[in-house]
Amino acid sequence: MVDIANEIQQQIQERRPLTLAMILTNRWFLYGVSMLAFFLVWDRAAAARVFSSGLPRPYEVVLQLWRMMFDPLAGKSLLGHVWASTQRILIGFTIASLVAVPLGLMMALNRYVNAIVKPLFDLLKPMPPLAWISIAILWFGIGETSKVFIIIIGTFVPCLLDAYNGVRLVEPELYDVIRMLGGNRRHEIIQVCFPAAFPAIFAGLQIALSIAWSCVLAAELVSARSGLGFIIILGMNLSRPAMIVGGMVVIALVAWGMSQLVSGLERFVCPWKREIDSR
Amino acid sequence: MREERHPGQAKIECKDITKVFIQKGKQRVHVLDHISLDVKENEFVVILGPGQSGKSTLLRIIAGLETPTEGHVLIDGREVKGPGPERGLVFQGYMLFAWKTVLGNVEMGPKLRGVPKKERREIAAHYIHLVGLDGFENHYPHQLSGGMKQRVGIARAYANNPQVMLLDEPFGQLDAQTRYFMEKETARIWETEKRTILFVTNNIDEAIYLADRIVTMKGKLPGRMHVVYGVDLPRPREHTDMAFLKLRHEITEASELTL
Repeated sequence: MVDIANEIQQQIQERRPLTLAMILTNRWFLYGVSMLAFFLVWDRAAAARVFSSGLPRPYEVVLQLWRMMFDPLAGKSLLGHVWASTQRILIGFTIASLVAVPLGLMMALNRYVNAIVKPLFDLLKPMPPLAWISIAILWFGIGETSKVFIIIIGTFVPCLLDAYNGVRLVEPELYDVIRMLGGNRRHEIIQVCFPAAFPAIFAGLQIALSIAWSCVLAAELVSARSGLGFIIILGMNLSRPAMIVGGMVVIALVAWGMSQLVSGLERFVCPWKREIDSR
Repeated sequence: MREERHPGQAKIECKDITKVFIQKGKQRVHVLDHISLDVKENEFVVILGPGQSGKSTLLRIIAGLETPTEGHVLIDGREVKGPGPERGLVFQGYMLFAWKTVLGNVEMGPKLRGVPKKERREIAAHYIHLVGLDGFENHYPHQLSGGMKQRVGIARAYANNPQVMLLDEPFGQLDAQTRYFMEKETARIWETEKRTILFVTNNIDEAIYLADRIVTMKGKLPGRMHVVYGVDLPRPREHTDMAFLKLRHEITEASELTL
């Protein structure tokens, strides 16, 4: 049901007898068929040893994950490892966004802040965060700090950039409106600038989140005692492909879950944003 | 200290307004040339001219968003030095705050002045009712049609209780039917709560329908005032009335506009 002005468009569902054609063209049915086909091809390819013993069968992966939930691996259950990776991301991401977003906003609003920060930022921006791994380990050792450091480096850039651009893309006439209503510079910033920039900031957070995942994985692949990247590396060292694929599946699930949380937060903070209908 | 306004002194006085824009450090664009205009209290004056005649610039100068290169604007005897709430401006592109509801938009003016919540809700409700948008208080702008958005714009400007209302081609983005409807609504709103109004348009019909006085601008830059027409027709006016059509013919002959 979509409200447009005086019109309320409702989807009128006629009651029609179920025909075979209706089932075959139904969206959910087709989704199901596609997924089923995917798993079937996977299973057959694994059983036929397409990658010799390198590709595990789907049920093997599920079995492995089930085992990891209850048998601790290097001292932690599966959920323990999930939390280890998630924790690093949460800490790094929070620190980075709390610094980068206000800094980006200030750069866009104040000429002098811009003049000081922008050249440094432009210098560091093109460098991929993973290039920092070696020096991070040199500085901070192989513990938690170096991993969180990489995540901070990686998430800093998109957060700042999107906050900066979010402000710069605000329609300038909106400031005229506030001035004509009697507002001053402070009102311009608080009443117009910030709310208008929120959607862009959230877009930056989503991008930063996915970058954070690749950062934490890379850091864990290099040196870790816990986490989902650690599980993948362990699977490789022990020649257990089910463990590798299992780790990948869990990563995908957790990353998706966190992304949904951010989207949920965005819907709460920005209720005016039009949803792009997923059809 | 407010100057005492003498009876007969105009509400808005523009004296010798000249505006030259300097683009890219070199090119001088002469947009307005010695415009002098007086608007009486509660008068509805329409500035009529084709595109690129400087009329929007004139309105922005009166609003205080631009400063004239020469000349000055007085409102109630006080010089206009910058934007301010005594002048309400309705924009062509609506310019609503997308993150606020209709109510949130309309009450923004009182909110900035620190009016307490209950009072400003009442003020907003009054003007939402005036423009005919009852029931849409909690809608967001993206849920509204163009005509409704502009009504919110008008309510928002009115709610701040300005001395003068300035409207910059407010119906330019609407289709013809909605435009006629909004012209009728504007006339009705003005009759209900009288204000001094300065309205800019390029549409002759719109000008004759709404105005007490029409100020035409020449079609070329620099913008200069052309002929001023007084419109004595009784309200509500009919587009097909003989007197209406006669005036329309007169204006069309004298200017370059065909609409």
